[in-house]
Amino acid sequence: MAGISFREVRHTYRPPRGKPVLALEGVSLDVKDREFLALLGPSGCGKSTLLYLLGGFIPVESGAITVGGKPVAGPSPERGIVFQHFALFPWKTVRQNILYGLEKQGMPKPEREKRTQEFVELVHLKGFEDSYPSQLSGGMRQRVAIARTLAVEPEILLMDEPFGALDAQTRALMHEELLAIMRRAPKTVVFVTHDVREAVYLADRVAVMSARPGRVKEIVDTKFKSNARGEELLQTREFADKVDHLWKLVRDEAIRAQGTRE
Amino acid sequence: MAGVSEPGSREAYLTALRVASGIAFFAAWQLTAMSHVFSDFLLPSVPVVFERLWHDLISGDLLYGIVLTLIRTFVGFVLAAVGGIALGVSIARIQLVRWFFDPLVSVGLPMPKIAFLPIFMLWFGVFDTSKVLMVAFSSIFPVIVEAWAGTQNIDKYMTWSAMSLGVDRHRFLWEIALPAALPQVFTGLQVALPIALIVDIVCEMQMGGEGMGGSIMTDMRFADSPGVFAYIIAIAIVGMVLVKAMEIVRRRLLVWHQETQTA
Amino acid sequence: MSGAAAIEADTRHAAARPLIARLTGALLRAFPVILVCIAWQIAPTVGLINPDALPPLSSVVTAWWGLLIDGSLVSNGLTSLWEVVAGLGLSIVVGVGSGVLMAWYAPVEAIVSPLMKSLYPMPKSALIPVMILWFGLGPSSKIASIFAGCLLPVVLSSYNGARGVDHTLIWSALGLGASRRRVLWEVVIPSALPEIMAGIRNALAISFILMVAAEFLVGQHGLGYLISFLGDGGVYDAMFAGVLTVSAFGFFADRVYLLFMQRMLRWRE
Repeated sequence: MAGISFREVRHTYRPPRGKPVLALEGVSLDVKDREFLALLGPSGCGKSTLLYLLGGFIPVESGAITVGGKPVAGPSPERGIVFQHFALFPWKTVRQNILYGLEKQGMPKPEREKRTQEFVELVHLKGFEDSYPSQLSGGMRQRVAIARTLAVEPEILLMDEPFGALDAQTRALMHEELLAIMRRAPKTVVFVTHDVREAVYLADRVAVMSARPGRVKEIVDTKFKSNARGEELLQTREFADKVDHLWKLVRDEAIRAQGTRE
Repeated sequence: MAGVSEPGSREAYLTALRVASGIAFFAAWQLTAMSHVFSDFLLPSVPVVFERLWHDLISGDLLYGIVLTLIRTFVGFVLAAVGGIALGVSIARIQLVRWFFDPLVSVGLPMPKIAFLPIFMLWFGVFDTSKVLMVAFSSIFPVIVEAWAGTQNIDKYMTWSAMSLGVDRHRFLWEIALPAALPQVFTGLQVALPIALIVDIVCEMQMGGEGMGGSIMTDMRFADSPGVFAYIIAIAIVGMVLVKAMEIVRRRLLVWHQETQTA
Repeated sequence: MSGAAAIEADTRHAAARPLIARLTGALLRAFPVILVCIAWQIAPTVGLINPDALPPLSSVVTAWWGLLIDGSLVSNGLTSLWEVVAGLGLSIVVGVGSGVLMAWYAPVEAIVSPLMKSLYPMPKSALIPVMILWFGLGPSSKIASIFAGCLLPVVLSSYNGARGVDHTLIWSALGLGASRRRVLWEVVIPSALPEIMAGIRNALAISFILMVAAEFLVGQHGLGYLISFLGDGGVYDAMFAGVLTVSAFGFFADRVYLLFMQRMLRWRE
């Protein structure tokens, strides 16, 4: 069971020089098991902060975050994370990056070599196992990052604007790859983005966040009735309506966020 | 210029240019010497200097001096490297160490550390110990600074990824922090090595004895100007070789690094 | 960013806070230095360290005062200062000019640049004996050594700074009707200034090293000579005083230059 629960989560950002800033204000939210939830909102609304709290990288000061009933107490392979700028280990090859988590789990050598190869092929990087990240394109690097995280088979996948650093074409391809991976082995996904279309396309539900201090403004169901996929889906009326609805919700917050930019 | 865009021919082009400018330099020197604007003493001709260089090379004096200088330089450099990296990393990771050493390093960095030479001579005598320690003392500062910065500025998200994948605190330093900091640490070493050579030569010039610095001062005292010029050329070559060697080591060690890939 | 740049950034941040906070901050930062001073006083006094090798801080301070009063500190200090100013100043004038011209006029670059890059790893202190042969034992040889040692770093940073100027800036200026000459003075040099000033800061440190080294080797006057002389004479507390003076000199010169640099580069983020 990997249901996630946020209860009245507050967070204050304290920079080393300067005044503390309230980043999140009483966020309450439930994520169902195997659900793909997008956190959508303007820059600075705290959506990434919420993700980092869930990941256990920042301590929860006020409120509670529980996973499967147990409170979050630090980073763990059960909550795998993929970052916008890949965060790969540059001195390790593709294979060594993916092996890393498996080594940490103490998996025996033959098994982890096999598992690594599986995931290299899953993200279509066969032939690049011995390349270094600096030799790969942005899209390829992100695929390594995804493979690295998925290889340890987390129950929950956290994604922090993972396709934000990629060009539009690559991003579209990555969307399809991600959905294909999720169909093969469904997980609970919490996906942070500021791109409305991306959120509507990928997610089952979208939680719209307000401008700073962030709270959940509204949650919108984005499961599609139509059976269309890919390009077709993007052309349907259903898709356009949902995007429109969410864009209206986000736009006000985006304008508000512009005003309070420091 | 045709064909310059390919990496291989570009390298060849640059090397040719270097050789050409080197030849131009020596040609200019020779012409000036032959014009006798300056006396033979002030500016001996190129053949005289090279003949001297050759003579010292065959007699073994030159090689002996180079070896001694290099040994002292390397021992001091290694001391500075090990100590500097250990200290730099500790400063980055341990609050108390940082509090103590931060002002000491900031104050020490711009000081002409060579001024401490008489103190080192007082404490450690006029033989190799004082030279090696002086070299280490002078070259440790850039290593500390770069090792500190390299360890301190590791990408937060990469650290978090490692934590999420299950690294434990004790292995983190060796598995993640040090490899990530290596480019910057190596830069510190690349800055420190020429400093080590310069300081060692100054120490040898001051304290005399054998080694390139001592030899050049002896020649100077005997007003042996071809000898002085010969040693300058020898020292320049040693300096260039050391710098080039470090560059080669860097390229192999940091083959994965962004810069190496785009070079 | 490099370690030195990080320290510089910290200095810049520190300068922005209110005065009281800065003073308390400065005191807290200086505390380890104060601790070292206390240790320096106590250890030789109680015999933990041989007082002949390391005179207690108090006798060093007394000796320093003595040097100040009898004028030797000032007169030697002025000689050293003159050597640095002349040598460094000359290297800046020639170096910045050459570097920028090299970057701006391609034929010059083709000839001089490879030579410059080859000579860069040359240990600058090795030039001191030649300078002594040429200019004798007086201050001129020191000035020449400093000039020779500082020239290359200044040329290189001016060259890199001028070369690294954003082409779009140059093209904008040319498009607005400026002549090539004016563009050089009004666009290239200001844009290159950060790197040029960083190179000069580097050269400043080198100038001190060469001044001290040259004065040690063959000196008749100057702080390096003074230290050497006192050391030979066994007057160790005064020798330590001299060493500290030169070190402080180098430290403050760097700090003063840093402030000057920050003022000149105020427009930078």
